[in-house]
Amino acid sequence: MGSFSEYLANIGRSIVTLGDGLAVTFSYLLRKPFTIQYPDRTEKPVVAMLPERSRGILEIDINVCTGCSICAKQCPIDCIHIEVVKDEETKQRVLKRFDIDVAKCMFCGLCVEACPVSGLRHTHEFEGSMSDVHRLMLSFVDKPQPVAKPAKKDEPAPETKPVGSIVRKLLADWWKPANPTSGGPR
Amino acid sequence: MTEVLQSTPDREELILNMGPHHPSTHGVLRFIVHTDGEIMRKAVPDVGYLHRGLEKIAELQTYPGYMPFTDRINYLEVMFTNMAYATAVEKLLGTEVPPRAEVLRVLVCELNRIASHQITLGCITMDLGAFTPFVHLLRERERINDLMEALCGNRLTFNYMRIGGVSQDVPDEWLKQLEAFLDHFEPVIDEFDSLISYNEILIKRMGEVAVICAEDAVGFGLVGPNLRASGVDWDVRRDLPYGAYPQMDFQVPVGMGEKGTVGDCFDRFIIRVEEMRQSCKILRQCLANLPEGDIKAKVPKMPRPPKGEVYSCVEGARGELGVYLISDGTPKPYRLKWRTGSFAGLSIIEHISRGLMIADLVAVIATLDVIAPEMDR
Repeated sequence: MGSFSEYLANIGRSIVTLGDGLAVTFSYLLRKPFTIQYPDRTEKPVVAMLPERSRGILEIDINVCTGCSICAKQCPIDCIHIEVVKDEETKQRVLKRFDIDVAKCMFCGLCVEACPVSGLRHTHEFEGSMSDVHRLMLSFVDKPQPVAKPAKKDEPAPETKPVGSIVRKLLADWWKPANPTSGGPR
Repeated sequence: MTEVLQSTPDREELILNMGPHHPSTHGVLRFIVHTDGEIMRKAVPDVGYLHRGLEKIAELQTYPGYMPFTDRINYLEVMFTNMAYATAVEKLLGTEVPPRAEVLRVLVCELNRIASHQITLGCITMDLGAFTPFVHLLRERERINDLMEALCGNRLTFNYMRIGGVSQDVPDEWLKQLEAFLDHFEPVIDEFDSLISYNEILIKRMGEVAVICAEDAVGFGLVGPNLRASGVDWDVRRDLPYGAYPQMDFQVPVGMGEKGTVGDCFDRFIIRVEEMRQSCKILRQCLANLPEGDIKAKVPKMPRPPKGEVYSCVEGARGELGVYLISDGTPKPYRLKWRTGSFAGLSIIEHISRGLMIADLVAVIATLDVIAPEMDR
């Protein structure tokens, strides 16, 4: 008895269960597609579709930065470089350098949580591909400027620039060729 | 791997390399397969390709600073690695976690377990030749990723937990979105069952294949679904309760030998489907009983745990995920050791591969749910 009838039964069961599966697959022909056509066939840009807390490329509003360097200390991989020097004439602390190495950054968000003035924040920008990895060292200080004073308790928090505007400008600037011989997409 | 092979002129052993770059090895993992025709004499795993020194890095980081690195232990079990590390440090510090944070932790862990099992089940079916279920499950996982992104800001490396609690409370409407996802997802599990789980071809590929008996499973230190599929009823969530799990009501599925023998590949497959259902059940309980209150206990910014050592484990998607942590009283750990389920799962492959067909090795790797980065760390 047999192996032949068992063989046939196997084939029968395979066809029946395969039919069950195909019925499920077929039903998807009638359902709405789940995928979207990234990047250019979405209703609005993908950056605008991301949730509020989405952790994208970091940016710092240097007009509110107090130069406390807590973010640089919190960073587990040292991707934030801050230089604060004391101006001998005005006796003020001057923010000379605030660079974030986006290529190294792992988007953990520990620095943003630590920032006491909420000047450092995650933007929703994520499309930062460049042909040279060194260009991903984003410099936020063009010329040295005195650090901001932290707001007193009863004062309102200082105005900050809209989230994302600073990084968007930095990234866009790079893609615009500054002069014909250097910069710009290669 | 320089073993002297016993071979006679008419009967030689052929050595094949499977990997390091093989689509079914789930990362960079190599098997040295000793074959006799189509039958394997043994398959020897060769690990270490994805070693990133994550244990050594812990010695160079402060306690809170190591948290993002735990995300990288295993890209599918991020919440569990977060939680294992957080609970270990909390045990050292003697911190009490607020009840809301405990329930939130359970909630995100179970959501992560579903996401992890979706990938596992999808990969099993894909490795065995069915591509459609993998795409269906990836689509469902996408919804979980969206939920996680709304909750903690990232889709894969969540970095959600902190020592003493969680980083952020749930956003508005998030719990409603989660409930909508559960309403949508529970029927999808049944749909998945009729799509592939009880497909005769898949059953023939997995039933009776690579049976691991209970003694072997315990002897080789298998954990989690792999251990339970062999009929050993052991679940850290229930047997060594931690967090908010004692308040939860859930069953622990155990391998029944539904389509063959207890401990075969099909048991390891179907037990994960059942675990997804149980996770949905736990998630609904979390939603119903989410207490109000703080989400983070007061912990110093730069904690210096007292001298001592601690072992803390959670039930991850691949079983017991443990952290052994030694503190010497400084802000940095003295030593940290991970105990992961994938490594134990891999260690048994050499033992059970004897006498299997080469094609079945793929089923064994897939159903043991071996994830290379977790193994090598």
